[in-house]
Amino acid sequence: MLRQTLLIAKREYLERVKSKVFRITTLLVPIGMGGLAWLGGMSGHKLEGVQSLAILSADTHLAAQVKAALEQGQFPPSSIQVFAPATSADRASADQEVASHQIAGYLTLEGVPDAAQPEVTWVSGSSINIVAKAQMESAVRSALIRQQLLARGMPPGQLRELMDPVTLKTMQIRNGAAVHSDSERSFLGAYALILVLYGSVLIYGINIARSVVEEKTSRVFEVLLSTTSSDSLMMGKLLGVGATGLTQMGIWGALLLFYAGSAMAASQGIHGLGSLGITGAELGYFAVFFLGGFFLYSGLAAALGSSVSAEQEVQQFSFILISPLVVSVILLPYVLGNPNAPASVVLSLLPPFAPIIMYMRICSQMPPFWQVGLSIALLFASVWGMVWLAARIYRIGVLMYGKRATLPEMLRWLRYS
Amino acid sequence: MDALVELSHVSKSYEAKTAVHDLSLRIEAGSMFGLLGPNGAGKTSTIRMMIGITLPDAGQVSLFGKPFSGEALQRVGYLPEERGLYKKMKIIDQLVFLGELRGLGALEAARRAKSWCERLQIAESINKRTEELSKGMQQKIQFIATLLHDPELIIMDEPFSGLDPVNAALLQDTLLELKKQGNAVLFSTHRMDQVEKLCDSICLIHRGEAVLSGGMREVKSRYERNRVNVQYEGDDGFLRHPAIADYKSYAGHAEIRLKPHADAQDLLRTVAATAVVTKFELVEPSLEEIFIETVGGRADA
Repeated sequence: MLRQTLLIAKREYLERVKSKVFRITTLLVPIGMGGLAWLGGMSGHKLEGVQSLAILSADTHLAAQVKAALEQGQFPPSSIQVFAPATSADRASADQEVASHQIAGYLTLEGVPDAAQPEVTWVSGSSINIVAKAQMESAVRSALIRQQLLARGMPPGQLRELMDPVTLKTMQIRNGAAVHSDSERSFLGAYALILVLYGSVLIYGINIARSVVEEKTSRVFEVLLSTTSSDSLMMGKLLGVGATGLTQMGIWGALLLFYAGSAMAASQGIHGLGSLGITGAELGYFAVFFLGGFFLYSGLAAALGSSVSAEQEVQQFSFILISPLVVSVILLPYVLGNPNAPASVVLSLLPPFAPIIMYMRICSQMPPFWQVGLSIALLFASVWGMVWLAARIYRIGVLMYGKRATLPEMLRWLRYS
Repeated sequence: MDALVELSHVSKSYEAKTAVHDLSLRIEAGSMFGLLGPNGAGKTSTIRMMIGITLPDAGQVSLFGKPFSGEALQRVGYLPEERGLYKKMKIIDQLVFLGELRGLGALEAARRAKSWCERLQIAESINKRTEELSKGMQQKIQFIATLLHDPELIIMDEPFSGLDPVNAALLQDTLLELKKQGNAVLFSTHRMDQVEKLCDSICLIHRGEAVLSGGMREVKSRYERNRVNVQYEGDDGFLRHPAIADYKSYAGHAEIRLKPHADAQDLLRTVAATAVVTKFELVEPSLEEIFIETVGGRADA
């Protein structure tokens, strides 16, 4: 009965929104996300080359070329000392400076008789990072090429133009037109969904399972079942919990909009939602797949909650609840790389994986419409099926309490009603 | 007139165990019905079939003269054996919620909840959460939740268990008042004294089967007044009277069981002739004795 379903949804919603958990998570998640973004910014800064170094070489000319190449490179160091021709005293003092952290390290270039390349060694106080290694390698290589070309008489001006780094512009065919491609952005969208879905399933899935178990242990369900059907109960529960989730998302969304339009965001180079790389259509798909995934997993949680008899057991199955999401995350790189491979298509149609995998495909390359439609239809059909299943298990499982139900027992319960 | 509840030949089994077997009973409007039986006899299973929480494997359940339907439940108030309330929810909110679920408007539900809380002397707890209340108080709240929508049929599973005598009396009075207003009340219990005082008709269940049922007077009249307690001074020779089946003799006091259809008045004359009688009492068998006799007899069979 609709009236009863709505009453149950209203109760579930109000009790949750008034709860401490709701207030705490509503507040903590944006703080946590802000913290993550800040940490991300911090580690971004770490991706830089060596700031100060020395070059020791017997070959004055080569040393100067390496210095020039480093200064023209992607991460120009702020100070480069050149010791050429280097003496053993220079080397000792360079060691000293590395030890006292005045310079990050030094590069020695030793000519090898009859070889085109010199022997290059990087000595530093810390283990080398990938960026620094690439920085040194590319500098030495371009210095060698430069030296050879100069030796063959190329004018220095022409040489500089030739040696400038190439900028790669990436384009992508989307909806039949070539547009700027941004794989990081596709990733960002899918990861945002994963994060939000994962968090909500953990919080609200466990929450709904707990509320089922609470009704079971406190025996409220018997009063409820004497007035209403278990289908209304489950549907009401799911709607109430869903509305709670949406309220929370709404608050977070408003905060995000507020942040995107704020002066703080502007100072970080973000002007409105558009520059976060989110389009209206994507936001729409996000809402659809989020809701579908949220209801499916909440229904699963309710079914699992109906099959246990004590609240402690809820913890044990939280892994079952999360595992399809974990699998989706593991498969994500593959799907991103092969959005139209048969495996990706099948995964994006299967309800437990559809929310993340299909959304990922939509973000990277819009799949055929029938696939998106089928995926959404299957997702919502399975939500309905899950509610039906949960209601059956609740109906009978709650009357036979005391021990955990085994799978054969659950199947028998299904036949009962 | 149609019965409010009619079970005809219902049976219910769980896995290997038979909970109820071929049970029939009727509850009339304006009556108080006692469902009796030892623990595990099948009382709760019977009640659950009445309100559709479980379905019978065989037999018919009718409510208000029609085959069972979900809508009929709006006219039923059910108090389960194991009491349940939402722990963190305020009392008034729960009562309003449960009232609304059974078809009341929110304002009406709140008004009735307040007046019932005053009637049962727990008005001060109305804004507290369930977890802050004692067990007995929670039970009263549950009781109110059952009655809020003024159901024509009130079904209570072990309503008196766990209540102190004062509150048990309060509950009994309330139930009697509801009965007087024309509501039908069914409750289950394993305590005979309550049934004896309150009920118009009973059904005694043992091992899932009705072993005794009917109106209270009728059931009792089926059992003879064949017990005599005598208090006397003097000779105990009357104990050899031919009407006596057996007896227990104490100093100046005897508990006698008469033979079937024996004449108690003749015994009284004999006692009076040989001793000074201070008390001569012809005792009706208590329901408890009937219960033990009936169930005991069956248990041996």
